[in-house]
Amino acid sequence: MHIMEGFLPAGWCLLWWLIALPFILIGTLELRAIIRKDREYLPLLGVCSAFIFILSALKLPSVTGSCSHPTGTGLSTMCFGVFITSVIGGIVLLFQALLLAHGGLSTLGANMVSMAIGGPIAGYAIYRLLKNTTVNIYITVFLVTAVADLVTYIITSFELALAYPAQTGGVFTSFATFFAIFAVTQIPLAIVEACVLALVFKYIVNIKPEILEKLNVFSHDQIEKVRIIEEQVTPAEGS
Amino acid sequence: MIRRYALELITLIAVLAFIGIFLLVSSGGAHEFSGSDDMGSQKIAELTGVSVDSVKPLIPQYILPSGEIEATLFALQAAFGGLVLGIVFGYWLGQRKPAQNF
Repeated sequence: MHIMEGFLPAGWCLLWWLIALPFILIGTLELRAIIRKDREYLPLLGVCSAFIFILSALKLPSVTGSCSHPTGTGLSTMCFGVFITSVIGGIVLLFQALLLAHGGLSTLGANMVSMAIGGPIAGYAIYRLLKNTTVNIYITVFLVTAVADLVTYIITSFELALAYPAQTGGVFTSFATFFAIFAVTQIPLAIVEACVLALVFKYIVNIKPEILEKLNVFSHDQIEKVRIIEEQVTPAEGS
Repeated sequence: MIRRYALELITLIAVLAFIGIFLLVSSGGAHEFSGSDDMGSQKIAELTGVSVDSVKPLIPQYILPSGEIEATLFALQAAFGGLVLGIVFGYWLGQRKPAQNF
C-alpha cells in the first residue's frame, strides 16, 4: 500500500499530510497520557506495536501474482483506539520511508491516512458495532483485523484514483484499476492476518485477561465466556 | 479437545490454504510476484505517460544499494517485533503463579 516517493503530486501530498497531522498529534498526547496513567499498559502496547512491525515487514505472495503485506493494525485499534494506532503505524511507515525506500517523506501523509488512520477507523467502527453484542469476541477480532487491513488498501486505491483519474471514466475507472491491483491481492492476506491476530488475542485473553478488562476492550463476562475452563476451576492466585 | 484448539486449527487451515493458493498460482503461469506497490507505480506511469524511472522524488530519498540490504532491514524490523512479543508474553507468563495452563 505504499505510494512511492514522487508518485503523488505535491498538492495531494500536502492534503494527506494535513489530514494525518491532527491524528498523530492527538495520538501522541493520548499515548503520553496512557503511559503516565498506568505502566501496566506498556507491555500490551508493546505487543500491539510488535504486530504492526512484524506483519508490515512480511511481503506475501497472493492470488494476483504479486506480493503485498498485511498491516497488523487491528489489535492496536481495539485495545488503544484509532489515535494511538496512528502514531505506531506512523513510526513504522517513517522507518520504511527513511531506510527502505518504501514510500517516501512526501507520500508519508497519504500512506499514514491509509494504513495508520483510515484502516483503523474502519476497524474501530466494526469493533464498536459488535462490542456489546453476543458475537463471539474472536469473531469480532477477526472481522476488525480483516476490515482494517482491507480498507487500508481500498483507501490507497482511492488516493491514487483521486490524483490520477483516468482520461475516460475519471476517478471511478481509475479507482477500479487500482482496486484490482491492491485490494484483490489483499483479500487472502487479510483473512490469514485476521486468523493469526484472533489467535494471539486468544493467548492474551488466557494469560492476561485483567489488562483487557481494565482497558474495557471487552467486558468481564464476554472474556470469561471464552476463557479456557480449567482456569475457572483453579482461579488465579496472588494477582 | 478440538473445541479447545479450534482457533489454532482454523489458523493452520488458513495458512495451509494460503500456501496452497500460492503453489497453484505460481504453477499456473508466469507471475513475477513483484510488489503490489510497484504494480501501482507502473499503473500510474501508464496513466500519466511518464515512465517509472523518470519520476523524480519530491523529497530526496536514501535508496538502498541492493535488495540484499533491504532484506536485512526487513528481517531486522520483524526480528525487533518478535523480540518485543517474546519478552512481553514471557513477562506475563512469569507473573502468573505456577501450574496454570493457558
